[in-house]
Amino acid sequence: MKRLKKLRLQLAVLFMLSMGHVMTFAQSDPTGDSPVTGTFALTNATVITSPGSMLTEATVVVRNGLILNVGQNVNIPANAEVIDATGLYVYPAFIDGMSNTGAERPENPERPRDLFTPDPPNEYAGITPERSVVAQLDASNSSIASMRKTGFAISHTVPYGRMLPGSGSLILLKDADHADEMIMARDVALYAQWVGAPGAYPGNILGMMAKWRNLYRNAELNKQHADMYAENPSGLARPTSSRVSQAFYPVLTKEKPVMFDVSGMLDVRRAMRLQNDLGFTLMVAGVTQAFELVDEFKATGVPVFLSLDLPDEPKEIKSDDKSDEVAALEARRMEFYKKHVGQAGLLAQEGIQFGFSSKGASGGKIMANIRTMIENGLSEDIALAALTTNPAQMLGIDQVTGTVESGKLANLLVSTAPVFEKDAQIKMMFVDGDKYEYDTKDKKEASKATASTGDATGPYAAVLGSWTYTFRTPQGEQTGKMIIKNGAAGLEGVFTSDDGSPDTDMNDVNFRDNELTFNLELDAGGQSILLVVQGTVSGTSYDAQATVEAFNVTLEISATKDEK
Amino acid sequence: MAAVLVAQTPTGDVLIKNGTVLTVTNGTLENTDILVRDGKIRRIGKNLRTPNGVMEVDATGKFVMPGIIDAHSHIAGSAINEGTSQVTAEVSMEDVVDPLDVSIYRALAGGVTSIHLMHGSANVIGGQNETMKLRFGTTDPDDLRFQGAPRTIKFALGENPTRGGRSRGIQPQSRMGVENMLRNAFTQAVEYREEWAAYNANKDPRKVAPEYDLRMQTLVDIMNGDVLVHCHSYRADEIYMLLKVFSDFNIPKITFQHANEAYKVAPELAAFGASASVFADWWAYKLEVYYSTAYNAAILTENGVLTSINSDSGELIRHLFHEAAKTQKYGELTDDQALALITLNPAKQLGIDDRVGSLEEGKDADIAIFDKHPLSVYAIPQMTFVDGVKYFDIENDGDDQRIYINPESSISEMTLYERHNDHRCMEGAFLDMEEYFSIFKK
Repeated sequence: MKRLKKLRLQLAVLFMLSMGHVMTFAQSDPTGDSPVTGTFALTNATVITSPGSMLTEATVVVRNGLILNVGQNVNIPANAEVIDATGLYVYPAFIDGMSNTGAERPENPERPRDLFTPDPPNEYAGITPERSVVAQLDASNSSIASMRKTGFAISHTVPYGRMLPGSGSLILLKDADHADEMIMARDVALYAQWVGAPGAYPGNILGMMAKWRNLYRNAELNKQHADMYAENPSGLARPTSSRVSQAFYPVLTKEKPVMFDVSGMLDVRRAMRLQNDLGFTLMVAGVTQAFELVDEFKATGVPVFLSLDLPDEPKEIKSDDKSDEVAALEARRMEFYKKHVGQAGLLAQEGIQFGFSSKGASGGKIMANIRTMIENGLSEDIALAALTTNPAQMLGIDQVTGTVESGKLANLLVSTAPVFEKDAQIKMMFVDGDKYEYDTKDKKEASKATASTGDATGPYAAVLGSWTYTFRTPQGEQTGKMIIKNGAAGLEGVFTSDDGSPDTDMNDVNFRDNELTFNLELDAGGQSILLVVQGTVSGTSYDAQATVEAFNVTLEISATKDEK
Repeated sequence: MAAVLVAQTPTGDVLIKNGTVLTVTNGTLENTDILVRDGKIRRIGKNLRTPNGVMEVDATGKFVMPGIIDAHSHIAGSAINEGTSQVTAEVSMEDVVDPLDVSIYRALAGGVTSIHLMHGSANVIGGQNETMKLRFGTTDPDDLRFQGAPRTIKFALGENPTRGGRSRGIQPQSRMGVENMLRNAFTQAVEYREEWAAYNANKDPRKVAPEYDLRMQTLVDIMNGDVLVHCHSYRADEIYMLLKVFSDFNIPKITFQHANEAYKVAPELAAFGASASVFADWWAYKLEVYYSTAYNAAILTENGVLTSINSDSGELIRHLFHEAAKTQKYGELTDDQALALITLNPAKQLGIDDRVGSLEEGKDADIAIFDKHPLSVYAIPQMTFVDGVKYFDIENDGDDQRIYINPESSISEMTLYERHNDHRCMEGAFLDMEEYFSIFKK
């Protein structure tokens, strides 16, 4: 009887699943873009099923979002679209440990009239742990396609905000009509970062550390009270319903980890200090100075996601009359550059498992940065593990993804050469069984394409090239060039300054419906300050607003496109 | 996890031979040896035998003194002010120690072995401070902690905290407002203490805890004598005001920092048992510091007020021995009195005098060696030891002592002296657009 019930349940689930697909294909499709079939067979491919294990002349069959079969002698279903993958390499698609991919940055909270108060509103202070990134997801956000084109199929997407913006979720980087279709697992970790409220408490790391302790201790007390009340409310004061405290309950019981967005070694140690004092389950992501943290990582076993951002290689002065002092300073700077680019290799050598986070990294540089790490001691197998099996395990999804195995999600990366080779190009991506194809160029053309600033046609034609900008700051007008070009994963650019200040990379460059947006991260005395630029391109002019988050002010930038 | 954070700081063994030992507490001992074992001063005497494997340092013709202690410093902090509200007792400098700051090495090169890393003076009740040993070379902030040092906290009176109030049109805008703010804060803390005392005394198993407030709890800890107050102040009237407030709330211990006008209320300070940590001869940088004298430290000392001389600066910290020597020109203090201003007295003000501040058997081997008498203007520090470990040696003083270098920094940034590190008391207190945009205009 019991068995029968179980069988009926299984049948019902199967029926619903199949209905889902029938319905998808049965929808009217005026564009004709819907795939004819959800079944694909990649034949005669080199398949890297998991780091270090490879099949040659193999076939991968994908059906209805899952990998049906992988091997050298597999049946190809009759309704499959057969793709000749001769000469192509099939990998498990990458998993991003932490990013904002797919999330829209919300408007900054309005600045309250009196900020000089011990407890400003939580909204402004950035204490909103009860929120979920799901509310910020936008299926049409261009970062989804852009990260997919870089090889990623899953992102642990975290919300925008300040010290405690809310929980992050695992999302599939697929084309979807609605954000819900992208969500793989909701609210998997409470996201925290060291971002203070501009001009209000907690304004910096001092206040944030204290605030964490205070919030946590009160959540513990509130939970005791709520539990006691739930058991027997008679004669007991009614517990207040604090959303902030309640958001900590699963953290207190260790059902939910805290993912701390950290960069340098001090950031990591401060997160560890809180963890040690309070006792939650900690993950750290965005780590940039792991070379100083080997002992701590070993001793604590805290899951680590390294930043995919790397410093630019220092340019040494090429001059015969360079002083010994300058040469010595350059040598020491190079020593630290080498530590940065060698840290992934170091962790691997020390037996510390890690994943990667793309947050703060420019999409176009991700593969180049991984290659730099490989040139500096990281093995290709561990690089692949850090992009696939490790994050799958650390995020608790290794049963469903991370390898090319029958029964797992059809998240595949198909490249023209071994994926970490310099000339490798992504030919195809499968995300959740949906196929995405990309134009690839032969080697000569590929190098030509990256050398030029871009085509005269194409979706980004209106913004590609060099612009002269004027930035109106309280200290007067700043001028310089804004150079935008096509990168491997969408647009990229640099911001130069006429007064000789160093160039700044433009991050998250997006152009859609005549709207050009990007971010600049500027260093102000050791503190990184984010400038969010949004504006409209009409013809050869660009009018934009630059928001300086740290000060809650908006400034104007205008630019004119240079003639060729 | 806990294993990581219990810092195992290095300790050393050394025999410092045949120096002129300035003990501060037991006078000057000629041709004397100091044996250090496991970071502690084991013996002070003549012709000590060098145990096997112990490093020998020949101090013939040199002067050996206790490591200098700076009771007011803002080096080695990633942040200085959480100046976003007037009472932030809950924040602590121990959370923001920056072991990478090369100023630590510069201080060692001036014979300094311990500093009191203070919160800034942007608000009336600022954050808790951190007493540190300058074990330079580590990237782990925990390695710099002075284990066992009492907790301390920063208060601020006068122009700095009222500047913020006036610019925002809120309390405090005057010294009266500052006093009111202090009294309000402690009155609230008394209520908080009573609320929790009642809760803790309650035998009902179904009792409900009051809200926890780390800010109020810290004020309660101050009233219980668990946290020593160090108060930024200048004028005699505000110093006297705080003595009255502390009497009313039964707070026993207070050190006035800067205290340029303390000499006017020296007998009152002595009667209260309050102490002062002052500059040797620095004033007139704002209105409230015009009525000052270089005799301040000497007058306080002669009136029985426990007094120290501090730097409050990444530059002055390198020659605190000069600062102490000025009290011999202005006030004719004895050698021991002058040296105590930068060793034993700050140690007492920080509650660490059982460990450091003088050269005595059993104390920590925090030691500085000079080529001439340290109160001579010609003296140059030669070596500095913390817990018997040598962290500075003039014979082995590299051009570039930094322990981390940003690969994206430019060579000109590396060679420029960072002027802004000199005085950080009000850093971060005001968000300054001009300062921010100056990064475009280098």
